[in-house]
Amino acid sequence: MIKLDNLTFSYNDTDKPALENINLEIEDGEFVLITGPSGGGKSTLCRCFNGLVPHFYGGAISGKAQVQGLDIRQHSTRELATKVSMVFQDPENQLVTTDVEREIAFGLENLSYSRDLIARRIEESLDTVGIVDLRLRQLSELSGGEKQKVAIASVLALHPEVLVLDEPTSELDPKGAEEVLALAERLNDELGITVILIEHRLDRVIHLVDRVIVMAEGRIIADGNPREVMGSSQIEAIGIGIPPVTRLLQKLKAHGISVDKIPLTVKEGRIILSSIIRKVRAPVLNDNKPDGSPVIRIDKLWFTYPNKTTALRDVSLTISQGEFVAVMGRNASGKTTLVKHLNGLLLPSRGRVEVDGIDTRQSSVAQLARKVGYVFQNPNDHLFADTVEEEVAFTLKNQGVGQGDIGLAVNQMLVKFDLTQYRHCYPRYLSGGEKQRVALTSVLVAQPKVVILDEPTRGMEYRLKRELMGFLNGYQKQGNIVILVTHDVETVAECADRVILLSEGRVVVDGNKRDVLSKALLFSPQINRLAQAFGKYGVADNTLTVDEMISQLT
Amino acid sequence: MISLRYQDKNTVVHQLSPLSKLAWVGSILILSLIFSNPLYILLLFLATLPLITAARIGREWASVMKLSLYLCTAIVVINVLVSYHGSHVLVEAPFRLPILGTPIITLEAILFGIVMSIKLLVIISAFTLLTFTIHPDDIMLALLKMRFPYKSVMVTSLSTRFIPCLIEDIQRISDVHKSRGLELDKGNWLQKVKNRAVITIPLLANSLDRAVQVAEAMESRAFGAGQGRTFYKEIRMTKMDIVTLVLGILPCAFGIFMRLLGYGDYQYYPTLGVINPGTLEWLVLFIMVLLLVSILFLAFARRVTSVD
Repeated sequence: MIKLDNLTFSYNDTDKPALENINLEIEDGEFVLITGPSGGGKSTLCRCFNGLVPHFYGGAISGKAQVQGLDIRQHSTRELATKVSMVFQDPENQLVTTDVEREIAFGLENLSYSRDLIARRIEESLDTVGIVDLRLRQLSELSGGEKQKVAIASVLALHPEVLVLDEPTSELDPKGAEEVLALAERLNDELGITVILIEHRLDRVIHLVDRVIVMAEGRIIADGNPREVMGSSQIEAIGIGIPPVTRLLQKLKAHGISVDKIPLTVKEGRIILSSIIRKVRAPVLNDNKPDGSPVIRIDKLWFTYPNKTTALRDVSLTISQGEFVAVMGRNASGKTTLVKHLNGLLLPSRGRVEVDGIDTRQSSVAQLARKVGYVFQNPNDHLFADTVEEEVAFTLKNQGVGQGDIGLAVNQMLVKFDLTQYRHCYPRYLSGGEKQRVALTSVLVAQPKVVILDEPTRGMEYRLKRELMGFLNGYQKQGNIVILVTHDVETVAECADRVILLSEGRVVVDGNKRDVLSKALLFSPQINRLAQAFGKYGVADNTLTVDEMISQLT
Repeated sequence: MISLRYQDKNTVVHQLSPLSKLAWVGSILILSLIFSNPLYILLLFLATLPLITAARIGREWASVMKLSLYLCTAIVVINVLVSYHGSHVLVEAPFRLPILGTPIITLEAILFGIVMSIKLLVIISAFTLLTFTIHPDDIMLALLKMRFPYKSVMVTSLSTRFIPCLIEDIQRISDVHKSRGLELDKGNWLQKVKNRAVITIPLLANSLDRAVQVAEAMESRAFGAGQGRTFYKEIRMTKMDIVTLVLGILPCAFGIFMRLLGYGDYQYYPTLGVINPGTLEWLVLFIMVLLLVSILFLAFARRVTSVD
């Protein structure tokens, strides 16, 4: 059992406590989800459970914290290792050897177990996690999801009583994420291991867990069974990404329709909705119909990497002014390779790519940068300057814009993106959401006609996602093109106009988001899956979002 | 791009005991350092080739060599430009530099630079064998067997483990900043250094973050707990492995003995010496090369015996 009494903790260099008066009991065998805005103390709390806080990070701690009968202040992380195991966000940065067997052996070796016992534990862990076939593989050959499973196997080998997973899926594609979460559920269910999971995307896990804890500003602000917590009105207010079906029924409730139970899954949603639905009026679903002139023309594009893998096969596309395009598809389907052609980072092996009348082969990346902005997934890769102001000015400086104009443009952008108060701050010290905003601002300041974002919402909390999409929709309205590479179906349903689906380097579908997403099995958003069941009541079968659904039902 | 990581190609060279290979590479390293005679260095270089061929790492070797050639060119050029010794003057500058005197380019300086480059190539060539035919974790085990302290070996092996990540980082961060209009090769050298800083800062900061994360993960898996760590895998030495280990060390011992007898020296400055080995010296050289290559014969023999 985990028992925290009035636990307060502050990191060394800050005054504000990262955790404040936490009182918490977690019973053995529970499956607990911890969620909440970033910077709210989720990670710090989890690091208490195995003593990384305070031993590894250092800081001031008060109150009591007992984990499986051991006081974390008296026992180091190493001593707690066989009680509490932790799996981290980035699979790449927690694997320390080069092959699967040795990785699993690592912790056991540290604890001086005998070779026979290690061999037995390796066998056991491989079996439990279901990765026996990976046994002899090199870690560098594995996919992200496989690596994360190896990481889980390597801590399971220590026979922990508690397994803590700190955003284990934020670096994974949907398939990998699904597998890791299913594994967590199985470990809890079959082996009775206490599982504590931090996660932003609730629609994937909410129905699996016994209990949800919501943290914000270092405090626990909600704690209870999923239905209770999801039903409370304050949850949406602090910006937690509750599943769309849940949000739908909550909103209906707010519109005065009596709903006796809040659903957590599409199936529950279907049952609940069918008890209250009446014949609805014919839907009018408005879509933004861009009629601008073409800016990007891709003609019979083929691309082969120097290692001979062909990543794009015969891709032809036109993208016009004012379009918001989502590029979707499995991992390694060629999404990133495609968009890297638009600013000349990659040049066609065969075929032609033209941006605003310029053949990318006749131009340089620097010249194309005036027309095409590219925001990469991790804002940390963007930030290098001493102040936010310099960071934003950098792009313009590269383009040889005059000093006075730079000052003016930077000022405008800082105001627009609400960054004025951070103007003189060191960008890397900002919070995750603010960093992302600085990176975006530093690209948009050059007013590119096309802006590309590669997986911007991966591992991002709901509130920040909405904020980002708000900015992008605004930018689109000024007549610019926004291109989003993403796996995030819900975001696409809300914001995009057009979806391009790639597979094995070919465009398999290209069309209006409504056509693409409502006819897909795997790619359709929750609300669409719900709407499909109510066609006979007059609900449009291509409804995609909560708001569209609400407008039909009320 | 071909992957510059270890791959188990299961050749006779891959199957050799890591300790034997380490000893052999060590021998090459020491021999190339103690000899200065171009003929000896050239033979050392040639002696690495049969093993590389047998290990089927020719492509990896070629790409490493291609990169090293840039370095070699730099060595030759710098040596020629700053070393004004030697008696065969090919070019003389019409001006004087303070302290250094009148710049001249001499035949001796050119040859010295070239031989130094080949020395470097010998060492790099031998090390490709180490990188591409020994499992990184086995290198660690071998070093531990040689009584290096565990923590230092672990840190070294960890840092090599993250080199591919670092290369990916560099690639990605350069893409980010190229997309923001940065032209890496624009401007004078000062500007170029500044341009590189744009990439270096995120790279360093990301690496620090990564280091903290790795440390956290290791700590969580009881790294450094208790005394006496155990090892799941160990290097078992069969009799054959001991023989190959001896064959790895033997060329080195033999070479040192030769050097003590006065073989293998060569004079570059002020006038190039004459390379004219007598019958005896040729014989001695032949034995050295034979010793170096003999490990390969044994490697084949080892496979034959282990099949039985």
